[in-house]
Amino acid sequence: MIEVKKISKKYGRKKILDGVSFTANKGEVTCLIGINGVGKTTTLKAIMGLTPYKGEILIDDQKMTKDSYEKITFIPDAPIMLPQMTIKQAMVFMADFYTSWNSRRANQLMGFFKLKEETPISELSKGNTAKLNLMLGLSLDVDYVLMDEPFSGIDMFSREQIADVFASHLIEDRGVIITTHEIGDIEHLIDKVILLDNGTVLREFNTEEMREEEGKSVVDVMREVYQA
Amino acid sequence: MMRYLKLVNFEINRFSKIYISLLLITLVSQFVGVIIGTKNFLNGARDTMSEERLSEAAFVTNNGGIDFTYIANSLWFQGPIALSAVALIFYIFLIWYRDWFGKNTFIYRLLMLPTSRLTIYFSKATAIFLMVLGLIALQIIILPMENALFNSTVPEVFLNMEMSSSSIMSVNVVLSFIIPSTFTQFLLSYGAGLMVMSILFTAIMFERSFRIKGIIFGLVYCGITAALFLAPVFVMGLGNFYFYPNELFGLLLALGIIVTGLSIWLGSWLLKNRVTV
Repeated sequence: MIEVKKISKKYGRKKILDGVSFTANKGEVTCLIGINGVGKTTTLKAIMGLTPYKGEILIDDQKMTKDSYEKITFIPDAPIMLPQMTIKQAMVFMADFYTSWNSRRANQLMGFFKLKEETPISELSKGNTAKLNLMLGLSLDVDYVLMDEPFSGIDMFSREQIADVFASHLIEDRGVIITTHEIGDIEHLIDKVILLDNGTVLREFNTEEMREEEGKSVVDVMREVYQA
Repeated sequence: MMRYLKLVNFEINRFSKIYISLLLITLVSQFVGVIIGTKNFLNGARDTMSEERLSEAAFVTNNGGIDFTYIANSLWFQGPIALSAVALIFYIFLIWYRDWFGKNTFIYRLLMLPTSRLTIYFSKATAIFLMVLGLIALQIIILPMENALFNSTVPEVFLNMEMSSSSIMSVNVVLSFIIPSTFTQFLLSYGAGLMVMSILFTAIMFERSFRIKGIIFGLVYCGITAALFLAPVFVMGLGNFYFYPNELFGLLLALGIIVTGLSIWLGSWLLKNRVTV
């Protein structure tokens, strides 16, 4: 379980996160939702140790260490492998450094996304860059996957492909934290929603309970909260 | 350990094109310098001899001959050494900043590797150090060849003396600095280089951690460490104390080790706990 306990973060004088707390369990998809600038990406970076923060974050009851990167992966919305590398070289790099690298799954995802090994990363479109990030991230046998806006700027067909991969490769028994504006594509996969606003958790709910008890979808709740 | 070596290899590969260019520039420029330098001298000598109707021996008596120091002091010879030095100093900054500001933000991947941040820090430092040593090794290898080419091109009568590589290295200021003649000198020269690199790495980490404020912190840190390292020299300059050469050497060595250790510790701590991607 990922436990985020009262984390706060400032950029200069601006408070980005102000006592954010939530948990994300294995086998569950937790979605962080909020308008731009509420601290979704910063929360993911804090979990991954990519930005300093106040508060505490535990992964399976332990603080983040170097070995945690074999258990948790972060898929950002920007290209993070060197542009001069080919996809093959990026895969070799991952295989070299991660014992959790799963070559079989990587090849499966390559085929599914129709990516070619010899393609230089610099020549990939935005959609294919997102697919590459996803392929590299999901090919690690990790317990937790964090994804930042995986659908950002991607065409409808690629979104469908990515959503298919989520359903087939992502869920299994992994814990997933995802930030997205494109709820529609993956709403059926989300178990828990954390609504953020002004650096705080505005509301937290289980999607199934929300549907059964109040008859509302995630989008309905978002409208209620953010348009209020 | 394997990840450290892989990272060092990776860092060297990333700079390999520019690095090989530097090696080639040094190789070509210095050999061209030998050929052009001797040719210019011999053409000048021939012109003077025909104008003044001098024999070769008389020319040498009046104007002096030539030896390899003439070549080693030329721009053709020292230019590529200076260029390589500037490129590697520039690379101390580039090796970090390109991971943040390149077309792709590779620092994400680097900091998410299942290895300690200190390993990342050391791999970058090692890559730079190995590249410096590689350039020095090239210089040590090609110097005797250049010397042999020079000796075979210049007629014996014009030669002041046939210099050995070691005497060229000891006479030329630049070569004596980059190719120390004793192990102690090597430790001093390259230890000082490592110290400067670790201080600059720490200043970069300050900037990456605190951005604009970090630039000020970095500059202050550079100033404090420079003052700390040079404190014995300042103290002597003020006339309050006098240190014997051995004492001064020991003090500078001890302070150098302290400053380098402090910089590595602080730089890697900032990389682990304070930097923001």
